[in-house]
This record gives sequence, structure tokens and C-alpha cells, in this order.
Amino acid sequence: MSKNDRSLSIKNRKKSYLRPWEKLPYISIGILAVIILGCAFAELIMPHDPTYMNLSDISSPPGGNHIFGTDTLGRDLFSVIWYGGRISLIIGLLATLISTAIAIVYGTASGLASQKIDDVMMRFTEILMSVPQILFVIFIQAILGDATVLSISLVLGITGWMAVAKMVRSEVQQLRTADFVMAARTMGGGFFYILWKHLMPNFMSAIMFMVVTNIGTAIATEATLSFLGVGLPTDIISWGSLMSLSQRAMMTGAWWMLLIPGTFLVVTLICITEIGEYLRSRNKRDRLV
Amino acid sequence: MSRETVKYIAKKIGQLILSLVVLSLIVFFVSRLAPGDPLRSYYGEAVERMSQEQLAAAEERLGLNDSLVTQYFTWVENALHGDFGISYKYKQPAAHVIGQVYGNTLALAGLSFATIFVLGLLLAVFCVRHEGKLADKLVCKIGIAANSVPEFFVALLLILVFAVSLSWLPQSGANSLGGSGLGDRLVHLILPVAAIVISHLWYCAYLMRNKLSEEVNKEYVLLCKVKGLSQRQTIYRHCLKNIMPSVVSIMAIFLPHLLGGAYVVELVFSYPGMGKLGVESAQYHDYNMLMLICLITGAVVIIANMIAQVINEKLAPDIKEERGQLL
Repeated sequence: MSKNDRSLSIKNRKKSYLRPWEKLPYISIGILAVIILGCAFAELIMPHDPTYMNLSDISSPPGGNHIFGTDTLGRDLFSVIWYGGRISLIIGLLATLISTAIAIVYGTASGLASQKIDDVMMRFTEILMSVPQILFVIFIQAILGDATVLSISLVLGITGWMAVAKMVRSEVQQLRTADFVMAARTMGGGFFYILWKHLMPNFMSAIMFMVVTNIGTAIATEATLSFLGVGLPTDIISWGSLMSLSQRAMMTGAWWMLLIPGTFLVVTLICITEIGEYLRSRNKRDRLV
Repeated sequence: MSRETVKYIAKKIGQLILSLVVLSLIVFFVSRLAPGDPLRSYYGEAVERMSQEQLAAAEERLGLNDSLVTQYFTWVENALHGDFGISYKYKQPAAHVIGQVYGNTLALAGLSFATIFVLGLLLAVFCVRHEGKLADKLVCKIGIAANSVPEFFVALLLILVFAVSLSWLPQSGANSLGGSGLGDRLVHLILPVAAIVISHLWYCAYLMRNKLSEEVNKEYVLLCKVKGLSQRQTIYRHCLKNIMPSVVSIMAIFLPHLLGGAYVVELVFSYPGMGKLGVESAQYHDYNMLMLICLITGAVVIIANMIAQVINEKLAPDIKEERGQLL
């Protein structure tokens, strides 16, 4: 018997929810705040025009006039990163806004519906989820034609709501029999009234961690798409489209074109995940999918 | 076979067919969403060079004047005969083109799936045995970080380190020029599989870890302890067996993520598989091909989910039909 065996006993979980500020992921919030502010006020910190292509200064390594070097088109990488981050973050937020709205309406409708309709609606989300999101996005985006910030957010939104909808539905099922919901229904409250006034305030905190995680997923998916050449074209600067230029440059040893935007992307994603994890642990919910 | 078994199998097959029909409906109507000309999806750029009469004739022949519903049934009828349309880019039946590459994807995804399954369980056991200690916390932190890095970036980093800088492993393709042996193929699989495993392992390991950590807090574990079993024996002999139904559903839910990841990784490594084909088709607006790839992927996932459900109902008859609630 080793002393490890103690971990097998029934433990008292620490009641961390009594002091929520104690475990706040300060580092992640801080880094993310810097990145968001830097991107939002990119004009103030950019030393060069991000769209200006200085053809006499292509692919120069970091240092000197350009802190992060220049890319294959002669753009100053430092300026481009802050400027492009704005597009990446906007896409992440917009896509999540769309997917969350769909998820809340669909999930609530399913949760309030009768058993049969609920079954059908949930089966439908499972079928939608059987196609990987990235493949679905590539498919729909190819049909819609050339991507814009709006179209890609829309496509990411309409392909990314299923997991949240399932969560909303299971929350609503627990709430539907609550007295205040019954009271509102018997008094003739409409679907959206009950959703807005009674259900949403009660389940928002439970689904918040998935919503935050979805922002990260949307940013990552956009970057992947743009990197693969089926997302934003290279003249709309985002972290993904910036990195799509780097693949060939990498073979020539121009590591900075890949590693610097990549680091920004990865750090942002890790911070978002950390915050999501914090929200999840506070609500003691698990990912269903 | 008893009547019950026959009924059970019939019900499962019925559900499967229904799911596949809905999937095909979704994919079909998405492909018809195109604001542009559906003719373009059949003839591509050639549409622009066609005369008015040719266009009308083509529309008639492809049945584009019929209602969407009729079009769908025609499409299903053709599909059941194995005709999924011509790939515009390859000028061959789409099914034929996929037939040439699906083996590569199967090898990549299968190998990654098996690796993630084994490593995920081991990692889960490791974390639970050290739960609350530094080792567990460290693994969790690293896992969360690795899980949030997009696959393509992991793949690029691996190429940068192991192929470009160290030149240990090949950076692209499924085999080297002229080489064909099994060893050569495996060498080409190492980096892609590593990329998938790194970016997806934690997804599974984490869910398994939580499940296992719940399990070791149950009463029977205390009994095992009283009986004199060591922690290792308890976990390997009893706990792992008991969480198997959950592990099966975790792996089934994980499958679409794995396939999506494999498709992206294939592209970065120029590995000839369905993912590479899919993205190339998107660039060439080859809708028939994309449709077929979506259909096959979705069907594989649906069938895998069905199998997982059946296994679960056999492993633990008390959890029936509670999909999604299992975790």
C-alpha cells in the first residue's frame, strides 16, 4: 500500500465557488486584454502602414527598422499583426454571436417542445454534427464564393451552434417545470418573452464557458481556412491569411513569418481557453461534445 | 435469432437509414444553395463559352428545370447506382477519384485514432493516480494549451523542426518517389500522426480523466481498498472496466473532430487523402466532389456512433437511448 491510496478516498471538494476571484486566470485575462487593446487601437502603435508593400524590403529578418521583420510582400510584420488581429477577433466574436443566437433559440425550442419533437430536433443536431465543422465550412464557403469577413463569420456561425444548443436544451429541460416558468406560461407569456425574461438569465452562466470556447474555435477555424487558401484572400489581412504566405517562405528559412503571427494566434487561443476553463470549473459543467 | 434480436437489428438499421437520408438531404440542399449557376458545378468555367441553346439543353438534360424535390430523387437514384456525378477537376466520376485516395486517409486517421485511444487512457490513469498533485496539474495545463493550438500550426512546427531543421523525417507525401514499401509509408506517417495526436489527444484524455476521477470516488473502490488491492490494481481491474461504456461514447463523439483534424493535417503535409482532395475541390468549385466527401465523412461518423451505441447497450444494458447524457 502506498500513500497514493489516499487519493482513492471520497474527498471533500474545495468550495472554491465561495471566493470566485481567487482562481481568476489573471495572467490570461491580462495578456488577452493587451492583445485586444493593441488590435483595437492598432493605428496608435503601428510604426508603418500595414497595407504598404515596400518591394525593396522583402522578407527582411526581425531587427532594425522592422521589429518583427517584413513578409514576402514587403509589409512590416509588426504593424500587420496588430492590424490583422482585429479581423481575426471580429470574426471570432461575430461568428460566436451568430452561433449562440441560433443555439439559444433552437435549444430552448427543443427543450420546451414535446418529447417527440424534442427527439427529432436533437437527432437533427447529431446528424449535423457528424460532418466535421471544418469540412462543412469549406463546403458552404466554396458554394458562396469568395470569402469576406461577414460571409466567413456567417458560415462559421451556422455550422458551430450545435454543441451549445444541446447544452441549452438540457438546461431548459431542468428549468421548464420550475414554478416561475409555469406561472409565466399560464399567464400567456410568449416564447421569446419567457426565453428572454426567465430562461436566459438562468442558463446563460451555464453555457458561458462553451460560448467563450467557441470564440477561440471560430478564430482557429478562420485561421485554418485562410491558411489553407479557402478562407480570406491574402489582401484581407488576418492572422490566418498572413500565415498562408509563410508556408513557402518557411523553406527558405524565413521562420519569423510563421512563428510570430503563429505565436500571437496561439497565445490568444490559449488565453481564451483558459478563461473558458475557469468558467467551466466554476459551473461544474462538462463538455458534452 | 430470437424475435427480439431481429426487432432490435431492424430498429437500428431503420434509424441508420433515416439518419443517412437526412444527411443526404442537408448536403444536397446546401449544394443547391449556390447563388450562381448550378450548371457551373457540372461544367465549371466551360459554362461561359456555351451558347444559349447549349445552356438550355444542358439544363434540360441535368433536370435543372424540375423542382428541387424531383432533382433530389433523381440524384438519390443515381447515387444508389454509385453515380455521384463527374468531378469537374479530374474529369472522372467523383467516386472513382475518392476510391484512389481513401486508403491513405484511413491509414492516417486509423493510426491516429488508435494512438489517441491508448495514450488517452494511459494519460487519464496517470492524472487520476496523481490527482490534485503537481504532476496532474502540469499535465492538465499542458494538455489544455496543446488542445487550443490549431492543427495546421502544430503540423507546421513539426515540419519546421523535424523536416527542415533536422531533416530526420520527410515533410510531405505518402511515400517517397519510387519508394513503396511499408516502412517507407510508415516513415511518412510519423509526422502527420504526431500532429493529429498532439492537437487532439487532450480532448479525449481530459474527458476520460474526469470520468475516471468520478469513478475512483465511488464506494466500491473503498471496498477494493479494504480488500487489500493496490490503487493500480483497483484502477486497471475494476475502474477501467466500469468506465468503458463512457470511453466508447467519448471516442465516438471524438471521431468527427479527428476526421476534421486529419483533413487539415493532410493538406499541410501534402498527403494525398480525402482532406487534400476536399480543399482542392473547394478551390476549383468542384461541388460534386465536396458533396461526396461530406457525405462519406458524415456517414462514417453516423455509422460509428451507431456502433458505439450498440456496444454500449451490450456493455451496460441499463443505459439505453440516453445519448448525449452519457458523459
